[in-house]
Amino acid sequence: MGTESVTEKANVNPASALMVAGLLLLISSGGVFGWLRQARELRLDPPGVSDLDRFRLMQNGISGTPPESYFALGKVYESDAYNLSQGKRLYSWFGCAACHADGRGGIGPSFLDGWWLYGPEMVSIVASIRDGRPHGMPAFRDKMTIEQIWQLAGYVQTIGSYTPKVAAPSRNDDKHTRPAENRGPAKILFDEGPAGVHADQGPSP
Amino acid sequence: MTREDDSELRDTALEATELDRRLTATWATPPGLWGALSTVDHKIIGRRYITTAVVFLALGGLLSLLMRLQLAQPEARFIGPDRYNQIFSIHGTNMMFLFAVPVMQAMAVYLVPLMVGTRSIAFPRLNAFSYWMYLAGGLLLWIAFMLDAGPDVGWFAYVPLSGPEYAAGKRADIWAQMITFTEVSALAVAVEIVVTVFKQRAPGMSLDRIPLFVWSMLVTSFLVILAMPAIMIASTALILDRLVETHFFNPAEGGDVLLWQHLFWFFGHPEVYIIFLPAVGMVSTIVATFTRRPVFGYLGMVMALISTGVLALGLWVHHMFVAGLPRLGESFFTASSMAIAIPAGLQIFCWLATIWAGRPIFKTPFLFVIGFMVIFVIGGLTGVMVASVPFDTQVHDTYFVVAHFHYVLVGGAVFPLLGAIYYWFPKFTGRMMSETLGRWVFGLIFAGFNLTFFPMHILGLRGMPRRIYTYQPEMPWSGLNMLISLSAIILAVGFLLFFIDAIRSGRSGAPAPSNPWGASTLEWATSSPPPPYNFARTPVVGSLEPLSDNPDMLPVAAGLRVDCRELLVTSVVEAIPEAREPSSGDSIWPLWAALATTATLIWSIFTPWAVVWGSIPVAIALIGWFWPKGTSEDDS
Repeated sequence: MGTESVTEKANVNPASALMVAGLLLLISSGGVFGWLRQARELRLDPPGVSDLDRFRLMQNGISGTPPESYFALGKVYESDAYNLSQGKRLYSWFGCAACHADGRGGIGPSFLDGWWLYGPEMVSIVASIRDGRPHGMPAFRDKMTIEQIWQLAGYVQTIGSYTPKVAAPSRNDDKHTRPAENRGPAKILFDEGPAGVHADQGPSP
Repeated sequence: MTREDDSELRDTALEATELDRRLTATWATPPGLWGALSTVDHKIIGRRYITTAVVFLALGGLLSLLMRLQLAQPEARFIGPDRYNQIFSIHGTNMMFLFAVPVMQAMAVYLVPLMVGTRSIAFPRLNAFSYWMYLAGGLLLWIAFMLDAGPDVGWFAYVPLSGPEYAAGKRADIWAQMITFTEVSALAVAVEIVVTVFKQRAPGMSLDRIPLFVWSMLVTSFLVILAMPAIMIASTALILDRLVETHFFNPAEGGDVLLWQHLFWFFGHPEVYIIFLPAVGMVSTIVATFTRRPVFGYLGMVMALISTGVLALGLWVHHMFVAGLPRLGESFFTASSMAIAIPAGLQIFCWLATIWAGRPIFKTPFLFVIGFMVIFVIGGLTGVMVASVPFDTQVHDTYFVVAHFHYVLVGGAVFPLLGAIYYWFPKFTGRMMSETLGRWVFGLIFAGFNLTFFPMHILGLRGMPRRIYTYQPEMPWSGLNMLISLSAIILAVGFLLFFIDAIRSGRSGAPAPSNPWGASTLEWATSSPPPPYNFARTPVVGSLEPLSDNPDMLPVAAGLRVDCRELLVTSVVEAIPEAREPSSGDSIWPLWAALATTATLIWSIFTPWAVVWGSIPVAIALIGWFWPKGTSEDDS
C-alpha cells in the first residue's frame, strides 16, 4: 500500500529507512545463502548421472576413489536428508530387509554392529550393491539406477554410522525395532563394558 | 506548574489548541529509530501491518504468476517438480496465514478503536508484540523459500506426507513453526479487539449502535480465539512427531493420521469465515456510505454475522468427504454446509435491499462491492455444489475446487478489501486515491479474475488435478491453461496499477478532508490522518449513525487527564462510563520479547533443548515488559 514509504518521503524518517534497509539485507542474505546451498535435484543431468558409475576401486574391492561429479554435487548422498530418506525407501522397496532385516542382519551381515566387511566408504558400499559380493550378496546393477544405488548406499552407511549425522532420514510410521539411524547406532561397538560387543561377523570375504 | 497541578488538569479546562499540544505531547510517538521500534500507537502498527500484509500479497501473487507460466503449456520445463511443490505450498500458506487473516486484523487494529471512539486499542504493547511476531513468521517462511528449504507439503500439510517418514529435511518444520508465529499474533490481536469492543466503546454506543464492521471484527475475533488453538495443537504435535519422535500421527504406534485432518480443518474451515466476516463488515460500511442510508436490517445483519460464526465451527468435515468417514457424519456436514447459505443469503439480500432503497453513488469502493457480490455469489453456488458428497467425490482435488475457493476467497475477501482500501485510504494517509485509476483497477481485476478462474471450473470437470507441475499434451487441458495464463496477466496488471495508484496517491494524492465520503461512523469525526490521540475529546454516541444525526455538532464527553495516557472504560451492554483507565506508553520490550520468542521457536526446529534455554531470554524480556513502573492507577 505504500503508506510507510509515504511517511519516509514526507519527512525523511531515518528510522523507517533503516528498518527497510535491514529487512532488505536480511532477505538478500537469505537469497545469497540459498544460492550457495545445494538444491534438491529430483532430475539430475544425464551426463552427471552416468559419471556416478565411474568410480575406481582398490584391487581388493575395498575403498577407492569416488567420481569427481560426486564432489561437484556436494557429497549429497551421505549429507542430505532427502537422499537419505530416498535410500531408506529403496531399502524396503528392493527387499534389503529380506537378508539384512532392520539393519541388525539375518542371512546377511548386520550393519548396526558397525563392523564393515569392505569398509565404511561410500564407494565400497556402492560397489557392493552394484556388483554384488561373495557369499550371497546379489548385484543390483540391472535393477536400480546408479543414482538410486548411491542413495541406498548413503542410507546403509547411516545405519552403521559411529557418530550421529547432522542429516538423517527420520523415523517411519512403523513399530520401532531398533535405535534410530540418526543417533549413530553403531557407536555401541566402542562401548567398554565388562563384556564388550562381540559382533558375529559372518563369513569373511 | 508543578506535577501535582498537572495531574489534576483535565481536558475540560483547556482550549482546543492548548489541548491538542498537550495531548500530542502525551500520545505522540517520538521520532527516530528508537521511537519507531518502541511505538505502541495502534495507527502506526496498523499501518505497518497492512503494508506488510500487502507486500506478502504481492509476493504470493508473483508465485502464482510463476505457476501460471509453468502451466501455460504441456510438458513445460520452466520450473522443476520440487520447486513447483514449494511454490504452490508457499503461495497458499502465504495467502492464508500471512496475507488474508493478518490484513483483516490489521484493518481492525487501525479502524476499530477509531470506530468505537476511543484513544487507543486495548493492550497496546501486546499489539506491538503481535506485529513483530507476524513479521518474523513471514520472514521465516520467505527466507526458507529462498534457501530452497520452503515447505513443499501444501498449505494444509497433511500427514503422513508432512510427517517424519515422507517429509525429509526441515521443510515441514518451517511450515509448522510459521503457523505458531502467525497464530500467536492473530490470537493476540483477537484478544485486543474483543476487549476494545467490549470495554472501550464511546459512551452511549450500546450494543445496538455498534457499526457493522466492528460487529464483524468482534465475531471474527471470537472465531480466532475458538478455532486457532486447534491448529496450534496440530502443528505443535507435528513438530513433536518429527523432532522428538512422539507418535501423535503414527498409526503403527497408536497415533492417527485422521486426527491431523480433524484438527486442521476444525481450524481451517472457521479460517474461511475469519477472512470472510471482516469483508462482510467492510461491504456493509461501504454500502451504507455510498447509498446514503443505513444498511437495511441491522439486527438481521448482526444475527447473520453471529450465526455464521457459530455455524462456521460445525462445517469442517466437508473438507474430508473423501477421507472415508461414516455416511451419517458426512450427511450431517452436508446439511450444515448447506445451512450456511441461509445467513450468507440474508446478508446478500440485505445489501441488495439497501442499494435498492438508496441512491447509490458508483465510486471505486462501491464498484468493488458490486464485484464482490457477483463473484461471491458464483463462489457460493459452487460451494453448495461441493457441499454435496457425491459431487464432491467427483471433483475433489481437481481445478474445480481451485476455482471454487478462489471465487470465495478472492471474491469474498480481496474485492471488499480493495474497496476498503480505496474507502479508508484518505483516513490512513490524509490523501485521496485516484478515481480514474481506481476504475481501471476495478475493471482489470474484475475481468482478469473471471477470465482466470472461471475456466478452471471447466478444467476441473475435465479432470485436471490440483498441484501438478505439468501435464501431458494428450490431455484436453492445454488450450484452457493457455487462456488462464494469459488472463492472469490482465489480473496482474490490475494489481500492479493498484500498487502504483496507492504509492503515487500516498505521496502526491489530493489532500483529503476529514470526511470525504460523507460517511456516518466515528472514524470520520477526526482529522485525516487522525492525530496520535485519535479524538481530542471522547465522542458521545446517540444512534447507529452518530455523524448523520447532526452533521455540524458531535456531543463529547470530557474529564480525561492530559498529562498521561488515559482512556474511558464503559460497560459492555449499554456503554455507560465506568472508569478512567491508564493506557500503557511506548516500550521497547515487546520487540525484545518478540525477538527472544523468535529465536526460541526457530531454534526449536533443530533441537528440543531450545525450549529449555530459549525460555530464559523470553522470561527476561517478559520481566522487563511487565516491570512495575511505579505509577499508581487513577481509577474513578
